[in-house]
Amino acid sequence: MSAPIDSSISPADARALFRAELAAVRTDAELQALRNRWIGRSNSWTAAFMEALKTATPQQRKSLGKGANDLKKDVEAAIAERASALAATRRPKNAVDLTLPGRGLQLGHRHPLSLVRDEVIDIFTRLGYQVLEGPEIEDDYHNFEALNMPADHPARDMHDTLYLRTPLQPRSYGAEVPAGTKAAPLTLLRTHTSAMQIRHMEHNAPPVRLVAIGPVYRKDDLDLTHTPMFHQVEGLVVGKGITLADLKGTVSAMARALFGSAEVRFRPSFFPYTEPSAEVDIRCFKCAGAGCSLCKKSGWIEILGSGMVHPAVFEAVGYDSDAVTGFAFGMGVERVAQLKWGVGDIRLFYENDLRFLEQFGI
Amino acid sequence: MKVPLSWIREFVDVKASAEEIGARLGLRGLPLESLEAHGVGADGTPADVVMDFEVTANRPDCMSVIGIAREIAVAYDLPLHGDGISRRQQGSESPTAKVVPLQTNGKVDISIEEPSLCGRYVGAIANVTVSPSPQWMQDRLTMCGVRPISNIVDITNYVMLELGQPMHAFDLTKMRQGKIVVRRAKPGEQMTTLDGKARVLSSDMLVIADAECAEDIGGVMGGSPSEISSATTQVVFEAAYFFPSQIRSTSRTLGLKTEASSRFERGADRTAPPRAMARALQLLAHIGAGTFTGDATDVYAAPYQPKAMHLESGRISGLLGMDVPDNAVVRILTSLGFEVRSAAAHEASPRPAGWEVRPPAWRVDMHRQVDLIEEVGRHYGFEHLPTTFPGVEQAPPPSDARIARDRRARTALLAMGFSEAITLAFIREQAAEPFLAGSPAVVIANPLSELFAVMRPSLLPGVIDTLSHNRRHGRADVRVFEIGTRFSVDGETRGTGFGWTGLATADHWSGARRPVDFSDIKGVIEQLAAVFSVMPSFGEASAPYLAPGRAAALIVNGQTIGTFGQLLPAIAEARDLPAADEIYVGEVDLDALSAASPAETLRAVALPRYPSVVRDVSLLVNDSLSAETVRGTIRTAAPPTLVQVREFDRYQGKGIPEGRVSLSYRLTFQSAERTLTDDDVSAAMAAIVAALKAEHGAEQR
Repeated sequence: MSAPIDSSISPADARALFRAELAAVRTDAELQALRNRWIGRSNSWTAAFMEALKTATPQQRKSLGKGANDLKKDVEAAIAERASALAATRRPKNAVDLTLPGRGLQLGHRHPLSLVRDEVIDIFTRLGYQVLEGPEIEDDYHNFEALNMPADHPARDMHDTLYLRTPLQPRSYGAEVPAGTKAAPLTLLRTHTSAMQIRHMEHNAPPVRLVAIGPVYRKDDLDLTHTPMFHQVEGLVVGKGITLADLKGTVSAMARALFGSAEVRFRPSFFPYTEPSAEVDIRCFKCAGAGCSLCKKSGWIEILGSGMVHPAVFEAVGYDSDAVTGFAFGMGVERVAQLKWGVGDIRLFYENDLRFLEQFGI
Repeated sequence: MKVPLSWIREFVDVKASAEEIGARLGLRGLPLESLEAHGVGADGTPADVVMDFEVTANRPDCMSVIGIAREIAVAYDLPLHGDGISRRQQGSESPTAKVVPLQTNGKVDISIEEPSLCGRYVGAIANVTVSPSPQWMQDRLTMCGVRPISNIVDITNYVMLELGQPMHAFDLTKMRQGKIVVRRAKPGEQMTTLDGKARVLSSDMLVIADAECAEDIGGVMGGSPSEISSATTQVVFEAAYFFPSQIRSTSRTLGLKTEASSRFERGADRTAPPRAMARALQLLAHIGAGTFTGDATDVYAAPYQPKAMHLESGRISGLLGMDVPDNAVVRILTSLGFEVRSAAAHEASPRPAGWEVRPPAWRVDMHRQVDLIEEVGRHYGFEHLPTTFPGVEQAPPPSDARIARDRRARTALLAMGFSEAITLAFIREQAAEPFLAGSPAVVIANPLSELFAVMRPSLLPGVIDTLSHNRRHGRADVRVFEIGTRFSVDGETRGTGFGWTGLATADHWSGARRPVDFSDIKGVIEQLAAVFSVMPSFGEASAPYLAPGRAAALIVNGQTIGTFGQLLPAIAEARDLPAADEIYVGEVDLDALSAASPAETLRAVALPRYPSVVRDVSLLVNDSLSAETVRGTIRTAAPPTLVQVREFDRYQGKGIPEGRVSLSYRLTFQSAERTLTDDDVSAAMAAIVAALKAEHGAEQR
């Protein structure tokens, strides 16, 4: 670059050459050198050209001189423009390394079960449900008997119950559910949130539209799919003319909100407290029914148990089973979280490893 | 229930594959758990397929080949053959099994002493030659998960699997005086069952005895003295009906669950014993194992009366929300074995149009109209259900107030950097001990293990374990909380527990690290109180799990509603946390905190219109003097225009005499009525300093 420029080239060719050289300039120093070579007082292209012009004819001198002056102006303008462009990209002295990590205002992370719980609460609140919680230590009547499971009922085998060594005396159950007329000693950990249905209906006439949510307990060993404590969501709607088709509509709405899959399938099943009873599957939201590992190639994923409230349950709480019908459903919160986020091992929810919890946002 | 497809096809001409049958029955209430190919046929395909159906507790009738075949027949709208006896015959040229209905002559000596426990007893005597049963019979038993034993025993098991009626065979020569007595066991009566175990019986158990001894625990398991052996030449076959609850309690008491007991305890078919006996005797002849002597007795005091049930047609759509055509209702129920008559035929009946339905004896689950509706619904197909929505009849009553309240507490703790944990509510007894405060623990009678022995009296054991887990998995700085139930003999309360170990500051390249200290955890408590607009005060806590001198109580309206401080290093160490680390924990009773919250009476205060004046004062006081005492003196001595007192420095060290401390306070004065003058504030400051000097010997610095 430091070699002088051949002053014999015409201003038009020189302009093209200058443009190419300017485009290659990256730093202030290069720009200064470029400037010196082209329009400096000495040893520059302009100086040499003017010098050479002295020997030209007056007519040549007039036209070439104008060309050289125009070029000089253009070069000055282009260099100034590039100089300010370079200045704009220059980092100020107090510039920071933008790629260093920021100082965290530490936020905690929510537990995935808590996220699902609140999502379900919000869905049903939007659908006009009352959301209830209830006691976790229960009596036999509310957990079993009033739910059409008398003492020797085979269906009790499905609930491996944890009992208290010393029964507790009944007490008040909080503002929503006042102390019951059935004041039996509390002997067990509730095996399902269905006990809340009874407690609510004992004290409230129909219509009923509620969701009960909370931990339940069963004597299950910890493994990939079981923990002795897990969380349930229980829905109950009672009124005139409530049907199984209404249950289907409700469950579809919930499935759409939770999983984005609204197609549901009812399979007849058996629960002592509902008749008819049905297990509900949703169309696999991962493979859309084609069959994948999530749905075990079936295209369907089981999400809950449900049915029409058994008349014996209505009779236990003093409802007229000829006048009202109702549906009920129960779903595991862990199951929803496992499906939503692909959590293979249910025990992860109870290890509370921050590396796990931090995956779920807040 | 495992059934070979070939056996099913003896009852119903279903052409569909096992997979297809499984898929359809799954939608009719009989889900298929697994399929297993069995053997190799002539063309190289499996000779048979064993279908394993999951039978729900209400359907003992489906614990049989015929029960499952009946469901398939209804699902495919095919006839069910054989009226309970298989149409085709295994191991025979003859395409049809000729089962002669049982004729009884009353010559078997049977007496039922306990008709409340045994509703029917059919006995029949046969002369036999005991040997292994034919291969086809052994194969079928094996496919169903029953071990072949001998031709006589195999016949009883074959009939049980086929018809659902458990049977038994006694060696007649071992039955003293040839008697069969159905009675209660004598208290303490002993018997050795077929599994070789000596059993001590009690009087609430039913036995089948001879003239002297119990020979069989009725409906559960036979006894070894009268067991069929290779020497047996004469047997008495039993087909009986035992009431469910007694079988269930006996089976549970003895810890003895058998194929027979699991059928009886769910409810057997009272009309089945003679059919089963006839089939057993036919098989006996068919496989050449012996001949029926013609001696048979059927003791059946109270014959089954099918209950007439009314099925209103309008009720079907009223409950299901879908219309089922009348002819489908009749077809489904009739095919399932129900007697169905149009109720319109009974003109005397004032009830709405529908049907008079009588369930078959094997449908022990039919009690009410809804049971019939379920049968109609499930076989018509829930896939026909429309999607409707229940109307809202009234505005929903408020939800449990704890839900919104817990969300507030959760949001606050998350904002303070605590992550949410959910731990199992049962803990080991030892971990609960320091948190019980003298009250007994809520103990589980049948815990899974000692790790889950008692219900947590506090959330802190779970929080501490969570800190420990994360410390052991590479996290030095851990902040966690849990919101959940605490259990005591006085009831359940909801609280939040939290724990903090490691750095209080974010770990950052710019440095400035500081480990968590007492003030951090106290700050959390103060913020929680502020979230609920509660004015807290603080005192010493007596908490055996906190380090002495660093154990504080959160007091609201004179009541302690929370505890916080440094975890006792011994407890930390016991939970695998490094004893050298300072770990800070706290727990607040959310029920009490929200009860103290003035949310209902909260009123906004208008912003002040006049400027405030700020004055600082530094004092030298004894270092045993609490900040709260100093603050109290300041407030008492100050005029009402003192709106804020804030400690902004505390210094001990160079320039401060031993035992003294320099405390700096920033006082803010403000009036709602006027701008305060310099004189107003100076006078107030003078009064404050004088009071501090008089009460605490404080020197102004």
